[in-house]
Amino acid sequence: MASHFSGVLQLTDLDDFITPSQECVKPVKVEKKQGKSVAKIQIEDDGSYVQVNQDGGKQKLERAKITLNDCLACSGCITSAESVLIAQQSHEELLKVLRNNKTKETEQKIVVVSVSPQSRASLAAHYNLSSSEAGRKLTSFLKGLGVHHVFDTSFSRTFSLLESQREFVERFSRKEQDSKAVPMLTSACPGTYAHKTQQIITTRSPQQMMGSLVKSYFAEQQGLGPQQIYHVAVMPCFDKKLEASRSDFYLSKAETREVDCVITSGEVQKMLEEQNVSLSDVEPAALDTMFSSVCGDEFLSHAGSGSGGYLHHVFTYAAKQLFGEEVKELTYRTLRNKDFQEVRLEKDGAVLLCFASTYGFRNIQNLVQKLKRGKSPYHFVEVMACPSGCLNGGGQVRPSSSQNQKELLQQVEELYKAERPLLPENDTRVAELYESWLRTLGAERAKELLHTQFHAVEKMTNGLTIKW
Amino acid sequence: MKEVLSLVQRISAHPDSRCWFVSWSPNGALLASCGGDKAIRIWGREGDSWICKTVLQDGHQRTVRKVAWSPCGNYLASASFDATTCIWKKKNNDFESLTVLEGHENEVKCVAWAPSGNLLATCSRDKSVWVWEVDEDEEYECVTVLNSHTQDVKHVAWHPKKELLASASYDNNICIYKEEDDDWECQATLQGHTSTVWSLCFDAAGERMASCSDDRTVKIWKEYPSENGQVTFCSFKGNLSWKCVCTLSGYHGRTVYDVAWCQLTGALATACGDDAVRVFKEDVTASPDEPVFSLVAQATKAHNQDANCVSWNPKEAGLLASCSDNGEIVIWRFKEEELD
Repeated sequence: MASHFSGVLQLTDLDDFITPSQECVKPVKVEKKQGKSVAKIQIEDDGSYVQVNQDGGKQKLERAKITLNDCLACSGCITSAESVLIAQQSHEELLKVLRNNKTKETEQKIVVVSVSPQSRASLAAHYNLSSSEAGRKLTSFLKGLGVHHVFDTSFSRTFSLLESQREFVERFSRKEQDSKAVPMLTSACPGTYAHKTQQIITTRSPQQMMGSLVKSYFAEQQGLGPQQIYHVAVMPCFDKKLEASRSDFYLSKAETREVDCVITSGEVQKMLEEQNVSLSDVEPAALDTMFSSVCGDEFLSHAGSGSGGYLHHVFTYAAKQLFGEEVKELTYRTLRNKDFQEVRLEKDGAVLLCFASTYGFRNIQNLVQKLKRGKSPYHFVEVMACPSGCLNGGGQVRPSSSQNQKELLQQVEELYKAERPLLPENDTRVAELYESWLRTLGAERAKELLHTQFHAVEKMTNGLTIKW
Repeated sequence: MKEVLSLVQRISAHPDSRCWFVSWSPNGALLASCGGDKAIRIWGREGDSWICKTVLQDGHQRTVRKVAWSPCGNYLASASFDATTCIWKKKNNDFESLTVLEGHENEVKCVAWAPSGNLLATCSRDKSVWVWEVDEDEEYECVTVLNSHTQDVKHVAWHPKKELLASASYDNNICIYKEEDDDWECQATLQGHTSTVWSLCFDAAGERMASCSDDRTVKIWKEYPSENGQVTFCSFKGNLSWKCVCTLSGYHGRTVYDVAWCQLTGALATACGDDAVRVFKEDVTASPDEPVFSLVAQATKAHNQDANCVSWNPKEAGLLASCSDNGEIVIWRFKEEELD
């Protein structure tokens, strides 16, 4: 089965037999006791493994488990199990939960679906609708299946943009004291942090921001425990499934994930087809405004790239905050190829800010190499794993027989850009939530909800599987 | 008149390890070899014999699998199992390490310079083929990463005349790549071999390609403008397709590890796992669409272990080098001799 994950996050190394790859980054924590004696390992009748010490004593050995989480950082051994990983988060799972709600009295869940604007644009292109029309019809379709609320991740993205802006300015301000403060790399794309990246932003991605909003604020508001909500995100790629399953986004007390399931735009299309429904025929519904950026019937978006507009917003904000410059329009300079662009703020011959957007493996490669050698001139880089960014994600709806991928992408881009942009600072609902909710929680709790952490994982090197 | 392959010199080049590859410099004066001892050796002629001029020892942490000279002869690239490709710059009689190209996830199997001298291709067990570009400041950057193969990629070779790249893989296929818009794409996948394709090379004009395989054959491929709507047994995009016009079978007792097409004489040499080195010549009377190659000379016990590589000297017709798992290099003279 061909890999669905972005080129950067491909699970490689398919072999005739699965062995722990040299690349496996699952740190196998074993409690080692001092001693020179060599122990034997024996398989018991029940299939468990025991270590037999020299003195005859037996110790049951823990099974090494590798989960979805671990594979995020790995280019190791589990290619064959990709189908298993993807099946755990599929539209089948969503339908199961909805079925359960209808048939069982107990374990009822409130089902919330958060739709990304890129997925909306992708479905809009396929069904010949405007992006907002697609959103309204999708809301109607999902609610018809039993979904309770349909939100839009442009809303949570507003938080991501505001936090990213502030994070950058804060780090830029202390770059003289801290050499690691800049350059800053975006982290909204899970396909990019598997890649030995250095200073990535701790701000949560829009998907995980929505996770915080739904499972903390919304849950509290509704008087529910986070585990009573089943939160689905509709995203343009498969890598987002892995992001949702990161242990940092698992609420251990409630034993639930902040985003329970990610399904792709393509999977939504499949759902429609399985129900014999064409999105264009569905009657539009009113939008759930609690966590959606809307103006009447129309969705609002953000300026900048189809991958979130991080470069645009951080640049504009930083120019104003740090140098008092009002940037009305950004001038992008294409470098090696169209997926590598540069923006500069210059004044009196000096370069004040140097930003770039690098999409796709080949450009990320060059960026990482330059960063390693300290030869990168950039203060901030918007990094995305997919060439042409999220609008061209691996989970977007495929072109129909009459169209090629390029034409389709252009159509999706136009539909996406047709939505009116709103400046994050001007979003009153978001400002309200900062005031009424986040401020009351205190700085530490607010940071937990708006930011995350990244952990460097040690690679294990062993002599196994050396191949010619 | 009979063609003969006669031994000029046997060299114990990489003692106690494998010699994986040999490559002549563009002016034919030097021979670079590399091996399991992680070293690269440069050989030059002194009088009648070949002696070791330089040893490049500390460039790699593991086996050096292939070496390639830049078209100008001033740079040498080495591909290693340590997942890096090292670029060496020639300074008088020595070489200094200029830069190390990183990026492949595991063993790099081959490196090749494009005739323009600006582009470099590498391929790896990680199934990918990378194209690199070098600028005037000797800075190397990745141009593209191609993932058309489903298994270990063993070899890459550039077309002699146009910016076209070919790769050979453990997945039994050959892929042809070309630049399209602002990225490189696989233009054709050539299927035909029934096992790993170990190596491939183009003829001097770039009209034909020879490939060799674990299926013990050598195949000759020819480029044809595509006929409308015709589906050949290779898939293709664009307006050119490659078809297999000749298969040499029954000559090799084991895996054929390398094939080399002499740019001066058109002779085809092979290195085989049955320890032999063989030379084939094309029958001039045969139709160009159905070429015929005959075995004209062979050294059945060229080495006492697998022969890994053969390379024709680009300036001196008939001068051939081969190397083996036993660490040896042999210099051969292929020529016509009077029958007694």
